[in-house]
This record gives sequence, C-alpha cells and structure tokens, in this order.
Amino acid sequence: MRVAAANASARTLGISAGLGFTDARARCPDLLHEDIDREADRAALERIGDWMVRLSPIVAIDGDDGLMIETTGCDHLHGGEEAMMETVADLLEKNAIPHRLGLASTPGAASALARDWPGHILADGKEASDLAELPISALRLSEEAETLLKRFGLRRIGQLYGIDRKALGRRFQSRAAGDAVLLRLDQALGLRREPLTPLKEAPSHITRLPCPEPLLATEGVQSGLEQLADELCMKLTGLGQGARAFAFHAFRADGEVSSVSVTLARPVRTPKHILRLFSEKLDQIDPGFGIDLLMLEARRTGPMDISAPALSGDLAASDTDPVLLSALADRITAKLGEGTVKVTEAHESHLPEQAERKAGFDGELPAPAIAPPDHGPRPIRLIDPPEEIKVLAEVPDGPPLRFIWRRVPHAVTRADGPERLAPEWWTWTAPPPPSASPEGIDRKWLKPKLDPRADAALIAKIRAELEAADPGEPVSNLPRARDYYRIEDEEGRRFWLFRQGLYEDGRGGAPLWFMHGLFA
Amino acid sequence: MESRALDIPGVFRLGETCRKPDQSFPLNLGREGVHEICEARHGDMAAMTGFALAAARPPAGAIFWIRQFGLAREHGDLLHAGLPSLTHCPAGLLSVQTRKASDALWASEEAISSGAVGLVIAEIETLDFTSSRRLTLAASRHGIPLILLLPWRREGTSAATARWRIASRPSGPNAFDARAPGASRWQAVLEKSRQAPQMAGRVFNIELDHETLSLRVVSGLAAHAPSPRAAPADIGLSQDTPRRKTG
Repeated sequence: MRVAAANASARTLGISAGLGFTDARARCPDLLHEDIDREADRAALERIGDWMVRLSPIVAIDGDDGLMIETTGCDHLHGGEEAMMETVADLLEKNAIPHRLGLASTPGAASALARDWPGHILADGKEASDLAELPISALRLSEEAETLLKRFGLRRIGQLYGIDRKALGRRFQSRAAGDAVLLRLDQALGLRREPLTPLKEAPSHITRLPCPEPLLATEGVQSGLEQLADELCMKLTGLGQGARAFAFHAFRADGEVSSVSVTLARPVRTPKHILRLFSEKLDQIDPGFGIDLLMLEARRTGPMDISAPALSGDLAASDTDPVLLSALADRITAKLGEGTVKVTEAHESHLPEQAERKAGFDGELPAPAIAPPDHGPRPIRLIDPPEEIKVLAEVPDGPPLRFIWRRVPHAVTRADGPERLAPEWWTWTAPPPPSASPEGIDRKWLKPKLDPRADAALIAKIRAELEAADPGEPVSNLPRARDYYRIEDEEGRRFWLFRQGLYEDGRGGAPLWFMHGLFA
Repeated sequence: MESRALDIPGVFRLGETCRKPDQSFPLNLGREGVHEICEARHGDMAAMTGFALAAARPPAGAIFWIRQFGLAREHGDLLHAGLPSLTHCPAGLLSVQTRKASDALWASEEAISSGAVGLVIAEIETLDFTSSRRLTLAASRHGIPLILLLPWRREGTSAATARWRIASRPSGPNAFDARAPGASRWQAVLEKSRQAPQMAGRVFNIELDHETLSLRVVSGLAAHAPSPRAAPADIGLSQDTPRRKTG
C-alpha cells in the first residue's frame, strides 16, 4: 500500500504521494488515513469544473487532480491575467478548497507551474528558459518514465533540452514510452499542440450578470434573466442570428451551480418567448446561500429566416404560421420533455406500419404526402404491432368467417379482399439459422455422467424434441406475404386484418392471422 | 358564443351581428366550442375518430392531435393514409402524446390559446367539470374549436357545448359487391347541446359518402343489420377447442 495523496500538515512531516504506507505510519503513528476513491474525486473535480465555467466557457479536467481553464479572451473580463488569478484564488479560498495555480500560454507549462511553481505567471515565449529549473516530475510523466529519467541523472526539465532525441528514445523499453516523454516536453514548450477536451461544449454566445449582492430570492433571478435575455437577443439581432437552445446558469458563492435549459423548434431571438419557456423551470433553481453570478448561453445558433407576414390572411401562402406553431411546440416541449411534439413523415415502404414514421417537429410541417392511389382503402387507426388473432376461415385463401380478438368473438357479416402486400425482400436480412440443439443442451449439468438419474427425465424430453424436429422439411425464415381483408362484424365495426403467408408456400407452417387496423 | 364579436368593445365585424345559431346537423362540430364525442360501447373509438374527422369542417390551419398514452395503446395510432377517405387533407397534423390526463388537458389549452392551429383534437380518459368549463372558455375566447374523444365511461356533467355518443352501424350497401362493406355508417346520439337544447336526445343514423366526403342522415330502416356470412353450421369457433382454425 502506498500513499496516494497527502494534505499540507502531512507534507510537513515528510509524507507525500508515493511513500509506502508503513513508512508513513512509522513517521507519524497516529496518521489519519482513508482509502482513495477515484470515482468520487473525479465527480467532485467535475463539479468544481462546472462551477469554474463562470470564468471561462472552456474548462477541462487535467489528470486526477487538476483543472485546466482556457483564459484566452476571458482575462480582460476580470481585469487582466493577474487579477483573474486572484479571482480564482479568492473563489477557491472562500470555499476552503486547497489549490495551486499556474498561468502559461501552453497547457503543459501551466500544469508544470501549478505543480512545482504555484502562483507564477509565465510570460509568452519564455517557456524554455523559465521551465528549465523545474523538476521533471512537473511534466505529467508516467511513474516508470520518471524513475528511469532520474536513474540517468536527468532531474530538471532543462537537462532534457539538449539531449539527442533518438538516443533518449532508445533508453526506454519501448519506443512509445520514449515518445511520450518527448511529447510532454514539446507540449509544455509549445512545440506541439495540446487540444483541451472541455467538460461542456462551448456555447456560441454568453451573457453574464455578476451580482454584487448575492441573490436569495427567485424574483431577483427572474429579473436578472430578463436583463440577460434582452442583452443576448440584442447581440443575436446584431448578427442576424437566432438560437435553438438556451441554457441559464446560476452560480452560487458556495461552489455549486444550478442550470436549466430549453430547446426550441426553430431559431429564436425574442426575449419574451425565451422568458416564457424558462418561467416553468425557474423554480428548479436553488438560490442556497446566495447566487453571485447569472449566465445565459445561446447554443446551436443559426440564421433566422425573416419574412414579412402577409397583411391579409387571404394572401398568405398557407394557413399555418410557422412561427406561432413553433412557439406552441416550444412551450409543450419545455414542459413535457424533448421530442414530445411529433409530425408524421412518409417513407417509401409498402408495409403500412413502416410507411409512416414519427419524427420530432423542427419548425417545418412536412409536405402532405400524396398517397398513391394504387392501394386499397386504409384504416384510420393502426394497431402496431399487429395482434395475433384466432380465425375461422375457408382454406386455403378465403376471407375470415369468425375470429377472436382480445378474447372477444366476432362474427363476420361482410368481407372485402384480399389485398396482397408482398414482403420487401430488398430490406430483408437473413436471421441466423436456428441452432440444432434445443435450449439448455450445452449446460454442463445436463451431462449424464454427473447424475444420470436426476436429469433422466429432462434428457429424455430433449431427445424427444430432437427427434421430433423433422430434418426432411427445411424450416425457412423467409418473410411471408400478407393478404389483407376488410371485415365488418355483426355490430357494424370494421376491421383490417391479414393472413401472413399462404398454405404450402414453403416459408413455415400454417399461416397466422393478425389484427392490424380499425376502419371508421 | 354567437355574439363573440360583440363581446369585444369597439370591434364590429360585418356579418357577425345577425348570425343565428346553426340549427343544422352537426351543430358546429369542429367549428367552435368544445364538443365531447364518446364511445357508445367499448371499441367504438375508430367510429368516433371517423365521425369527428368527417363531421368537423376541414380546419383552416393545422390539426393538433393530443392523446393520452394508454388510449393510443388500446385503440391504435392514427394512420395518415386513412385520412383522405374521411376528410380533406389538412394543412398539417402535429401530434403530442402525454402520460397524464392533466398534461393532455394543459396541452389542449395551450394549443387553443396559441392561435397557431385550426383545430384541436384530444383523446383523453376523462375530465372534470372545471376543466371542461376552462376549455370551453378558452375555445370561445380564441375561436379555436376543440374536439374531445372520450371512452364509453364518460358520463356526468360537463360545460362542453355538446356531447355526442357514437356507435358503429352496419355499413351501407356496396354497389359493386354485395358481400363487401360499403359506405361507413354510424349512429350519433346528441346527448347534450347548449346551442340547441331542444334537439338533445335526438338520434341520427348517418352515412359517410366516401366520394364527396359528406355526411347524410339515412333513415333508421335502411340501417338494418345484415345477417352474418354463411358459415357451415357444424363448425364453431371457441377459444378452447377450435375444430378448424388457421393460425
């Protein structure tokens, strides 16, 4: 067992990460210790990362214990790089989160500073000279690589600069291990790119509202949101754009953030509409001990199509107003969940259940599909999936005379049909052939040698099943044609049912009957 | 309701002042107000759907169709390919499925008051008097009709404009094949009506002309039930021992 992490007071006793646990106990017999929980640490780190979004939209996780914040274009909001460092330190200090900060123009250099020269800001272009004196452990290397380099006598980063790269690679067991050291070095010096993987995708536009006096009531949040929405919509108007998703974050002083978001069917930049969608969700925001920053983000921006509405209703191209319709869909989506409002789209298929598919409404009504007149009457309600029914019908291809559906018998008075829908062989893929062995035969406990008497009955049954399966008749899994009938029963109800397959079509046993629709 | 224009001060619309309540069948169904359409017995949901679509005037805008989850499972989903045989193609059809009845009612009210759609149809389990009053007020204020499709259990008081009860009837004669079903026929009972209280309790036997998509009232005599298709007398179909069943 080894020490994975140690706090400041333990470090003063010389206990640090990597030390054997028995050694640590020897130095301090009443050492408090706990098993490390990487999952919980990661979750806590992500929570701090979410909270740090208040400083910059791009926040990434760095290793097991670090956060990386992209400050490009954000530092001026906080009064320069030094002031921003102070802000970060202040925020963390207030919440008693121990921290070490470093600021540099490359992620690798910033990480090295935070680990071994906390509080320092590296000027642009001075990475090589300033990092030279830092130990190589600052480079985020693997443990083995670090040990090996120390064995060579390479202890400072500066010692790696002049070294022959090929020779260094040869010292390591594998070429990849050597390359990893060089990659970390180059990333720190800015010779190779190191892309950050942000916790959250950066939004297109952000408006921020710092609150000098922490907000404790929902009314304050509401008025703050109004102000932010106005500002954001002004910004979007200037660009001629609208957004299809908005997220509202309320950052609390105690390191928590509560967020709500709404999605829209088409790009929007009307503050009133955005506020109405958020109004249902604002009570989910918990002010806690006070909110000190509000932020509204616009995501999925796109150009708005602006067309002047016709002055007279008679001149309008269609009776539906897509803007009003989208506003309605947005309100219902905001309350009942994403994808609740659906439109039906036509697909190329002969099978009625596949010819129409539900899709989420995205601001455009699909063009009404003009049904080809080459098929027979279609029911108004479709039972999907079709339900199997018991049918009494003339063999081989007569219409049903009586049938039982959902345990209710119906007597057929009139019938029309059949309308044959052939299977779509071009979309059909062969299912795997049924295994010859019955279920359970490969289980070990079935083997007779274990206990011949206990399983004798089961083995006899399985043997009988194997013999009953007639190998002479190939059981085919080919799709079968459907013969649809329009049926009316004694009470005047009209049904749409079909027989799947024909007698002796070589695609399975006797055909089955299914209930598939109800006529008006 | 007939004097909606007069309710708004300072607004005068030509032709609205002298309008009389429409006494003809089907009493403004799908034109204004809230109309409840109920099943006569379990299983008449398809007939109700057909009656609602055929009797309602084709709306000027899109249709907003709200359904509660359980009912869609029970009675099947709307098949758009079946619409042209009942009504003129609507400009569009948006559908919403909700789990709770309260959500369905909320969505109905939102749709009515949005002014974006021409007709709202809601399939729900039940609703109480307060909700029906609320929906009626919203429908008359915004001038968008609402049709409620309700199961056979629906009874009791309601503030709706009218309540219809629909049952399937044996279809009309088929001119090309005597053994095939013909034009759809339904029995519509007007249980309640606020527009024409004197007509409450009237029974209409109606037939849908699939060519012109118009409804006409047929006499009760014509709507008799035909006898079942001749099946050999010695065979019966029972759930336990079917003697000749296929499937």
